[in-house]
Amino acid sequence: MTDLLLNTRTTFSLFELNNIIKDAISYALPDTYWVVAEIADTKLNQKGHCYLELVEKEDNKTIAQVKANIWAYEYRRISHKFQAATNESLKSGMKVLLLVAVTFHEVYGLSLNVRDIDPAYTMGEMALKKREVIERLTKEGFIGLNKSLPLPAVPQRIAVISSPAAAGYGDFFGQLDNNPYGYKFIHILFPALMQGAEAEPSITSALRKVRQKKDLFDVLVIIRGGGSVIDLNCFDSYNLALEIAKFPLPIITGIGHEKDDTVADMTAHTKMKTPTAVAEFLISGLRSFEENVINIQNRVVRHTERFIKEGHYALASLTQRLSFISIQLTASLHNKIEGAEKDLRGSVRQFIQKTGSRLDNLEKVIRLLDPVNVLQRGYSLTHHKGEILKDASLLRKGDVIDTRLFKGVISSVVENTKEAEEHEQEQAVDLFSGIDRA
Amino acid sequence: MSKSRQLTYSLALTELEEIISEIESEEINVDILAEKVKRAAYLIKFCKGRLRDTEEEVKKVLSEIEGIEETEQGGQNNAANS
Repeated sequence: MTDLLLNTRTTFSLFELNNIIKDAISYALPDTYWVVAEIADTKLNQKGHCYLELVEKEDNKTIAQVKANIWAYEYRRISHKFQAATNESLKSGMKVLLLVAVTFHEVYGLSLNVRDIDPAYTMGEMALKKREVIERLTKEGFIGLNKSLPLPAVPQRIAVISSPAAAGYGDFFGQLDNNPYGYKFIHILFPALMQGAEAEPSITSALRKVRQKKDLFDVLVIIRGGGSVIDLNCFDSYNLALEIAKFPLPIITGIGHEKDDTVADMTAHTKMKTPTAVAEFLISGLRSFEENVINIQNRVVRHTERFIKEGHYALASLTQRLSFISIQLTASLHNKIEGAEKDLRGSVRQFIQKTGSRLDNLEKVIRLLDPVNVLQRGYSLTHHKGEILKDASLLRKGDVIDTRLFKGVISSVVENTKEAEEHEQEQAVDLFSGIDRA
Repeated sequence: MSKSRQLTYSLALTELEEIISEIESEEINVDILAEKVKRAAYLIKFCKGRLRDTEEEVKKVLSEIEGIEETEQGGQNNAANS
């Protein structure tokens, strides 16, 4: 029975079967179809053919999966067009709209042959995703977080996250180090990949390293200079933006994105277009600080000069007043001295005059008293027995007396005596009282 | 302001601003003025000097960073290959 059955059934070789499947599929699906799918994996082989793994996910669970390929001669055109439009290369995680033919190969099985990709769909997807990320960050309050950090007075110690291979890297340091003011910057590079699938984890790890040494730096600069603008969507990633937002130092970006700002730019403290612009910004920070200092310096100098000048004026005016007062004082003293001198001279003259006239009087009196003078005027002295006779009653008749005249002496004999006359006595008293008073 | 604290740009600038407002208030006598001007000159010299001479600071940063740099040799090479 089994033999019978074996004999009656039709058997195919695997090749035959696969050929039947291939025919069936090409019969059932003869055209090309637009399909929306997510790229789960992508590989380029040596011949330039591109092999993709396409999936559809629902709640992070794969609900459909299929292989796809783009032949080398199509891949060049398709990938070029896609990159030009989206600034992204085809890579896993990306949602794409593909024009495919369903093919079945006897050896390799079912696979979609990609004839075209519509970049507009992916762009829309990316924009939508970016908008969602921005909305989420805004809602969670992260967009303005790094911006709320104060910029340092002098952004002189700079941590730099960049790729040493990036074109703008050298320009950036050259510009900082050769600034026209001679400012010295301290810049330390924390190397990271700045594009492609590895960029996000690489930048995130660099951010963590800078964070460990945050006290050594004033600002963090993330730069990516020139060259290709492909594959920068890491800068639109939620996680990276979050790291930037929560970073303890102000972050300045110079990612060099030609089109819209990236989410990283929006989350950072200050966004500059290029690394060169970042360098300018930092130099201007130092310049503005120095201008502040110079301004204060000028004000201190100006004020001090004015203060000293005013002091000089005050001193000069004091000196003038002092010399004026002393001249006045001297003049008045001089006058007083002159007056005193004049007074003194007057008094002396008066004194001398007065004294002189008294002396004259005395002289006169003394001259009057000289017996010779008395005799000259006609008085005479009478002696009796060698003594001056003052009282006539002492004499007796017959006594001899000598009378001395101005010239010559008379010897006489007394006849009689009389009492002295009063008149003569008074005269003599007056004469003597004048002498006493002098 | 305590001089024992390490002088920074922002401390220096704050102090300079205080000094200039005092000087410009005109309520200062010549002895204090001299003292303030001397301090201002010192602070200005500090700021200007430090903008251009960072040797000390560079040494400090580099010695702090060296540890990281060594462990980062691998990362640097990767980046260079990008």
